[in-house]
Amino acid sequence: MSLYSNLQAMLAAILRRSRAEHEMDEELRAHIGNRAEDLQRRGLSREEAERRARIEFGGYERFKEECREERGGFQLETVWSDVRYGARLLRKSPGFAAIAILTLALGIGANTAIFSVVHAILLRPLPYPQANRLTIIWSRWGNETRGPASGPELIELRRRSQSFEEIGGIWTSMGTITGIAEPEQVRLGFVTANFLPLLADKPEVGRFFAPGEDRSGAPAQMILTDGLWRRQFGANPDIIGKPARLNGGNFTVIGILPPDFRLLFPDGANVKADVQVYITFLDDLEKRERDTGFLRMIGRLRRGVTVKQAQSEAETIATQLRGEAKEYAEQSLHLTVASLQGEDVREAQPALLALFAAVGLVLLLTCANVANLLLARAGNRSHETALRAAMGAHKGRIVRQLLTENLLLGLLGGTAALGVGWAALKWILALQPPGIFRLIAVRLDGTVLAFTLLLSILTGILFGLAPALAMARGDLLEILKESGKTTATAKPWLRQLLIVSEVSLGCILLVGTGLMVRTLASLLRVDPGFRPEKLATFQISFPWSHYGSAEAINNFMQQFQANLAATPGTESVSAVSHLPLDEGLGNWYSYYWPDGAPVQQQNTVMADHRAVLPGYFHTLGATLLEGRDFTETDDAAHTHVAIVDDTLAADAWPGQSPLGKKLSIEDSPSGPFQFVRESVVIVGVVKHIQTHSLTSKGRAQVYVPEPLAPRPATTFVVRTRAPMETFAAYVKQEVRKLDKDMAIANLRPEQEYVDIARAQTRVVTVLAGALGVLALLLACIGIYGVTSYSVAQRNREIAIRLVVGAKFRDIRSMVLRQSGLPVMIGVLAGLLLAAALTPLLSGLLFGVRPNDPLTFAAISLIFGGVGLTACYLPARRTSRVDPIIALRCE
Amino acid sequence: MAEQAQILPGTLDLLILKAVSLGPLHGYGVLLRIEQISQGALLVEQGALYPALFRLMRQGLLKANWGTSDNNRRAKFYELTSAGKKRLREESNDWNRLAAAIASALKAKPEEV
Repeated sequence: MSLYSNLQAMLAAILRRSRAEHEMDEELRAHIGNRAEDLQRRGLSREEAERRARIEFGGYERFKEECREERGGFQLETVWSDVRYGARLLRKSPGFAAIAILTLALGIGANTAIFSVVHAILLRPLPYPQANRLTIIWSRWGNETRGPASGPELIELRRRSQSFEEIGGIWTSMGTITGIAEPEQVRLGFVTANFLPLLADKPEVGRFFAPGEDRSGAPAQMILTDGLWRRQFGANPDIIGKPARLNGGNFTVIGILPPDFRLLFPDGANVKADVQVYITFLDDLEKRERDTGFLRMIGRLRRGVTVKQAQSEAETIATQLRGEAKEYAEQSLHLTVASLQGEDVREAQPALLALFAAVGLVLLLTCANVANLLLARAGNRSHETALRAAMGAHKGRIVRQLLTENLLLGLLGGTAALGVGWAALKWILALQPPGIFRLIAVRLDGTVLAFTLLLSILTGILFGLAPALAMARGDLLEILKESGKTTATAKPWLRQLLIVSEVSLGCILLVGTGLMVRTLASLLRVDPGFRPEKLATFQISFPWSHYGSAEAINNFMQQFQANLAATPGTESVSAVSHLPLDEGLGNWYSYYWPDGAPVQQQNTVMADHRAVLPGYFHTLGATLLEGRDFTETDDAAHTHVAIVDDTLAADAWPGQSPLGKKLSIEDSPSGPFQFVRESVVIVGVVKHIQTHSLTSKGRAQVYVPEPLAPRPATTFVVRTRAPMETFAAYVKQEVRKLDKDMAIANLRPEQEYVDIARAQTRVVTVLAGALGVLALLLACIGIYGVTSYSVAQRNREIAIRLVVGAKFRDIRSMVLRQSGLPVMIGVLAGLLLAAALTPLLSGLLFGVRPNDPLTFAAISLIFGGVGLTACYLPARRTSRVDPIIALRCE
Repeated sequence: MAEQAQILPGTLDLLILKAVSLGPLHGYGVLLRIEQISQGALLVEQGALYPALFRLMRQGLLKANWGTSDNNRRAKFYELTSAGKKRLREESNDWNRLAAAIASALKAKPEEV
């Protein structure tokens, strides 16, 4: 029959299935009825006639089944009867069904949960139009590989490049909105006019900036996020076209962003997702300093242009720029083009892939476990199978029946897994995973459902195929002869192999978990260079209109420091331009060199620069190694001084005390961002403070007194005994005393920043821990099940051994030897495999080597111990064997 | 009743085609017709008739219609399609040739060898 007519028959069979069934039944019954009537006419009684008619007809159901097969098409009837039969069997052994479905639900459910995270973050495109063509363009200079671009860089790149449709830029800072109930400090995004259209199709209300509205002389306009619009302006659409007060100036509101708009930048870009107000630069970017980088560039590739092509073009342009302007040459400027999505998930990817691999191992363990259960059942069912084969069922038919049962089991498990997955996902999200985890919507969607379904089917086939084949292959006569004796058809080595693989899979997983636990432990022990306990922090920002001069800012800072110091419970107060471990403000870093360094050593090494008030190191709990702290008289009018960290000291003046030495740095005594290079005298050395992460050392540090580099936004640090709520009230009250239009933001303990820095490791460790425990549990159930089963199977043999004089102790050690050996082999194989695999994890580890002997030893002890216990418990049961009863039973 | 012989494998289909070629029949009718035309010499397993009927339907050699039988019951009547008629001719010829060949082979006497 051709494919087409086959399909037709199949369709027709499905559509007319019940009618055809009905008619077939009618036809066959009519036959028997007619026959019975004929027989009755020949003189038989009615009952006898009907009985004879049925006997002459033969096996009614068998012929019906044959008719169905001859009818062709899709054997829905057969499948349905197989399903019903399978369901009946499962109902008849509820214990087996419950354990199998529970195991599958845990194994598949864990996969559902992790996959929904992997899918949302790694696989689904970013929520932007033509997201696959969006790139981020990094500037590379000196030892900075992911730096921001200067204004002229962006303009030149835009002018010369053929690869990009659009290149937009953003710089973020803080600003204060006034003229509303209470002044609110918000994160500001300074953008080029084409920036927002790159990331959103259209605004929810109003319009985006028009081309040219980012140049000097353009009107002051702003676009708000949906959140701010709802919170501060009651979602009133009439606000469009009306002015709002920002940093003391008037800005016309021209648009509101869609509610689901997210600003997703990679961690290193210092572009926080919580920007709430977008304004344009309002000056000509090409007129800015060539060597002051601050812009983060997003480019949309032209259709058909690859990232690689764009990269090589950008490098050509960078070479041209270096040849044309000495600033670019001195910086040795390079450009890197990378996919935005790739860069966004760069931090999360290794952890997610590791978890995905781990959860895959759990699934294999699950399959091994259920296969084990099925093998045990196969032993009990071999008689049934043999009987069916004897009555004329084809082997293929039996295998199909068994596979249908297993698929049914897989699908039941998969359905339960959706519940488990849903709960697990809720739990994962409640762990507050860091960064990009939080910003992208993670949920059980259609793809995840399809994945779970596919997994259930594959699992059903995987765990079911081996037992099904083993069962169907059984020698009919052998099995029937042995009927009555409970003999397993599956070879014992198959079970032992399952134990070995379960134990080794579990071992690999647990070693990974162990390494993550050790990493978290070292992360908790790491010295950040300061004491975060009882340290309160908050941010203030200065509206330009009132604080245009350095003096205005300095005066406020000093006065505010003095006032705060007088509040109850306060031990000490200071301020810093960039709080340790807070990546909320664009970092400030630039080149340094000792005075008199040869030209080729200048512009080579960068340090983080921070402007601080006196008492900063004391308040933070940092360690001043040499020299003195800043005082009130360390200002622009006196000798310009600086404090450096021990890293810089060792680099610039190895083996000497840096006190009194002169260092060339950039600062801005005449006002925010008016950078000049000058020479400062070192008056102190402080122990390095972990500023960007707890795990990597980061750049060297230069601290200057606040008057040498006033900033438009700064963070106060206060060591206080007062509870946070009380302290918050003091701060608000003191701020209002000095300036009623000033708002504070991000009032929180420094400990929170430390916790966030540990968050990824913490979340990965907790998840790895959960998977590790699950793996251990599954492996134990497997070992326990197999050992119990083999003890039960061998009752008769054990009884004979006892009768001929063996001691219970001998029997026990025999069982232990036979089940314990695969456990030990499994542990050994697991450790070897783990040693080969753990180097892949090295990116996630901190303070522990991938082949950490302690972890390996601990895991082998744990697994060996727990595994042998799982063998011992059933082995102990042999002492309950009563030889007489056991032998009589058989 | 005469002594009955089990029909050879594969000949059931041919017998059904022949039976139906003599006029539309329902399933039980096919059985009776085969008994009748073989003078009761051939034993057909009754239930096995139906898978064969379904097979011939699927091969397009038979078609079926629901109608009313002699005893006023709803019944499914089978008749030959043109493909069925053609197949019956071919198979009858084949069978006759084979039967003749075997018969003549069995008639052979020692002196003819």
